[in-house]
Amino acid sequence: MSLELIRDILVATVPLLLIFPTLFAFTTWLERKALARIQNRIGPNKVGVPLTRYGGRFSLFGLGQPMADGIKMLFKENIVPRDADRLFHLLAPILALIPAMLVLCFLPIDFPWINNIQDSVKAFMLDGAVIFFFAITGLNTLAVFMAGWASRNKYSLLGGMRAIAQMVSYEIPLVLSAVIVVMMVGSLNAAEIANAQAGWNWFIFTPWGLAAFIIFFIAALAETNRSPFDLPEAESEIIAGYFTEYSGFKFALFFLGEYIAMFAISGLAVTLFLGGGAGPGVAALPWLSVIWFLVKIFALIAVMIWLRGTLPRLRVDQLMGFAWKFLLPLSILNIFIAGSALHLLAGGRLAGLDEKQPILRQLMEGANPLVVAGLWIGALLILYVAANGLNQLSRAKVRPREYKYAE
Amino acid sequence: MSSATAIAPNYELIQQDGLETSLLEVSMGPHHPSTHGVFRMDVKLDGETVVDLQPVFGYLHRNHEKLAENMSYLGSMPFTDRLDYFNSMTNNWAYALAAEKLVEIEVPERADYLRVIMAELTRLVNHVSLVGFFINDLGALGTPLLYAFREREKILDLFEQASGARMMCNYFRFGGLRNDVPEGWLDRARDVVDHFPVFLDEYEQLLCENEIILSRTQGVGCLSRDLAISAGITGPMLRASGVNYDIRKVDKYSIYDRFQFRVPYTDGNVGDCYDRFMVRMLEMRESIRILKQALDGIGDGPVLGNAPKVFKPKPAEVYGRVEAPKGELGFYLIADGTPKPYRYRVRPPSLINLTVLRDMCLGQKVADAVIILGSIDIVLGEVDR
Amino acid sequence: MSLLGGGIFKGMAVTLRNFVGSYFYKDRLTTNDYSWRPSDKLPQHAGEYPKEEGEQLRDTTTVTNYSRNFPMLLHDGSEPMDTIRCVACQICERECPPQCIYIEKSTEKKENAGGKPQFYPAKFDIDVSVCMSCQICVEVCPFDAIVMNSQFELSTPDRFGGLLLRRDDLLKSNDYYHNIHPEEAAARDKRIAEEKAAKEAKKKAAAEAARKKAEEKAKADAEASEGTPDIQEDAE
Ligand code: SF4
Ligand code: SF4
Repeated sequence: MSLELIRDILVATVPLLLIFPTLFAFTTWLERKALARIQNRIGPNKVGVPLTRYGGRFSLFGLGQPMADGIKMLFKENIVPRDADRLFHLLAPILALIPAMLVLCFLPIDFPWINNIQDSVKAFMLDGAVIFFFAITGLNTLAVFMAGWASRNKYSLLGGMRAIAQMVSYEIPLVLSAVIVVMMVGSLNAAEIANAQAGWNWFIFTPWGLAAFIIFFIAALAETNRSPFDLPEAESEIIAGYFTEYSGFKFALFFLGEYIAMFAISGLAVTLFLGGGAGPGVAALPWLSVIWFLVKIFALIAVMIWLRGTLPRLRVDQLMGFAWKFLLPLSILNIFIAGSALHLLAGGRLAGLDEKQPILRQLMEGANPLVVAGLWIGALLILYVAANGLNQLSRAKVRPREYKYAE
Repeated sequence: MSSATAIAPNYELIQQDGLETSLLEVSMGPHHPSTHGVFRMDVKLDGETVVDLQPVFGYLHRNHEKLAENMSYLGSMPFTDRLDYFNSMTNNWAYALAAEKLVEIEVPERADYLRVIMAELTRLVNHVSLVGFFINDLGALGTPLLYAFREREKILDLFEQASGARMMCNYFRFGGLRNDVPEGWLDRARDVVDHFPVFLDEYEQLLCENEIILSRTQGVGCLSRDLAISAGITGPMLRASGVNYDIRKVDKYSIYDRFQFRVPYTDGNVGDCYDRFMVRMLEMRESIRILKQALDGIGDGPVLGNAPKVFKPKPAEVYGRVEAPKGELGFYLIADGTPKPYRYRVRPPSLINLTVLRDMCLGQKVADAVIILGSIDIVLGEVDR
Repeated sequence: MSLLGGGIFKGMAVTLRNFVGSYFYKDRLTTNDYSWRPSDKLPQHAGEYPKEEGEQLRDTTTVTNYSRNFPMLLHDGSEPMDTIRCVACQICERECPPQCIYIEKSTEKKENAGGKPQFYPAKFDIDVSVCMSCQICVEVCPFDAIVMNSQFELSTPDRFGGLLLRRDDLLKSNDYYHNIHPEEAAARDKRIAEEKAAKEAKKKAAAEAARKKAEEKAKADAEASEGTPDIQEDAE
């Protein structure tokens, strides 16, 4: 291995390892603050950044809170249950963190320093990036079950089992909605997908793209165990699920892994549907694309926080039903609609199969506005009707009721 | 390294679909986050489904009844606060009502009005925070609970101004109230009561149509009308199962016959968690109606009747009961001519409503067991006494 | 038929409204910002929590005028033991539901604020780890000698001794009482004054009547047998 290669590898990875954990710290603060405001509280506001608190009276909105939390976590006692499987108990949080970190490098964030390194080190240039992404995030399931099993706690076990069922089920709609994008670009390469959406050609601005984005986002919530799909760690039912028996730094690792996974999956959503780093001003100032990318990630995370502040959680059977009886048929239908539109626009030809033929995105651009409008309305109508029908099928009797009064 | 064989001896093996499998026994509580106190459910799970459930309680037993039998009648008034510590006012009232029957004291009109106001405020406090806790059990991150607590706080401020304490009010006395409310209190109370519907609207908008809440609560923990009646269930839980029974209407104790209010109930074919949740939501509106009428109708006058200085009733047996927010709260007293009761017995609504927990939980998921418990509305101080 | 997911969107609208509203409307807030900074010293007395200048905190952040915590003994003047109201009648000790008052009566009498010789408590202990702040002792005391304090910073590293308040810890002046519970103290003083006035009026009337009676008797006596010395009757 040449020195050059090592340098390039470091240049490509170390910033990621620094930036995202820092953002994680910031996100925990943001989440606490936002949830507090949603609940009409004030949130952390006392811990300042060192040197601002004692020098003056600024506590900088409690921005020092994550640091204090981190220090607290580090110094906490590491408790391992007597009967736990010590090895796996230790490995699980590490294994939870690694895949989450690993997939970060598939995000096509155009860091300025990355341009002058060798192509072979640019991970996101990988041709199968999207597939790789799903393959590696799938490892997370293993970590969660490992934690649940190794703790030898019944709640942990229940949490672990819930996690497996949930993550495996939601992976399918997740992948199927990503298929739409692959259909539109004709490539699995993350950078190519992002480049295809330069300007305002984001895939969320197509009917199937919009539907796929919504499905993707819902499935992503479930994949990262966010409310309302936080069953594996349902506090009111099974204490803390698979990490009931974790404390101190191991718990912090789980926590970190969870947030990094959130970044990763939001990053993927941004890449697939929200135009990657595209945004106003990028053409003039290329480094703005990094900012735009992060802003979009944070916008998605803000919605996640908002949902968390609003919704209660689903029940196990409803969760599975939702994945298999609602999201899965819808995403298949969505692919079908996208395919038909492709067929229609291409005038009956098989399109997009090889690179020379036009793909759906280009066909949409070239089409008559009336046809496009028709496609929008038609596609969304079909999807809405289908969604409603599926909803009626599984929740026919669930509706608000009338009550009687006695004088 | 632990393996399946190492774990197996703890489990009871059963045959299912030709497989040898086992049930998972989980002891939920006494320090589980959502058992509403030190309460334990020994649950047997088949996967996530509850196949057996045994409630275990008594962790908070404080010998309330025996203590009261060795104490003057007035002395146990502060202890009644600690029964259902959310609703000390109604607890006081039930006890005062029983004791007043023993010696037949006339309660002045202003005291009666204030008693009604306090009791209905208590009902608001209880129901609003119960709904918050219930949604918390459903997994919401405390948002409705914190909204509820903000409103509860305003009412607790009122209690504090009237009685000196926010929760352990100890405000009622035999023959009236300990002291009159301070100046301006009625206006402040009116302010709170006027603003409550605004909050309720928002609360309803947040909760009542939420699809997740609907599908989580409907059809879960059904309590049939017959079982509810034969188990002696009272309060909103009974009305959710379709029985129109409210002691405020049945006994018309105190001055409840002067107020116009309705009692929400269902037609009794479901009686699930959603009904119990909604009945409470609707009851709050009716409490506000009563409060408005009471605040308008209250007049001046003394608040303490001619209670005897030394409370020494003649031998008698009495039962006094009120419609506490959780159900029928009754005190049964036997006086033997001494300053201490010979027998002092509490009929705690929480305990009696809890008895049907197992029947409601069987066959449900473990997550449902938690919300069914939440929808019963127990306070362990009252269950264990 | 309602919109699919409409209930969820409604709920989200509510939380969004609260999120934004919490920045603009103080009355939306569940909690208050105490604005306590590490450089501030800890409050020593009730109601002493530091406030931002010119800012009016809601009265729930400080102890209100109505709150009660543990009992205290009242005295009227500057010398606590000379003007203590308590006469060690031990009614409160008997009536306290959890039995947390312990009184030892003095053996000799001492002049109290009214100048009357009275017993006083040689010992008056309240175990505040047992006291449940019920105020029964206040109600039963016939001498208005015990009232509720609202001091709440009573935490101590000494679990037993530190939570046993002695007579001298419990003694507080009437001015202090007026300070923490103005309305209640004023009402109580008014009642005491009224009772005293009523008593005095009664006493006066009784004395008047006795004097008149005595005079009449004296007159009659004088009329009956002149020269016998007057017999003074004690009016009291
Ligand atoms: S407040 Fe109650 S418990 Fe405390 S000393 Fe007085 S009577 Fe006893
Ligand atoms: S405080 Fe009152 S009741 Fe208690 S001993 Fe003194 S005078 Fe008697």
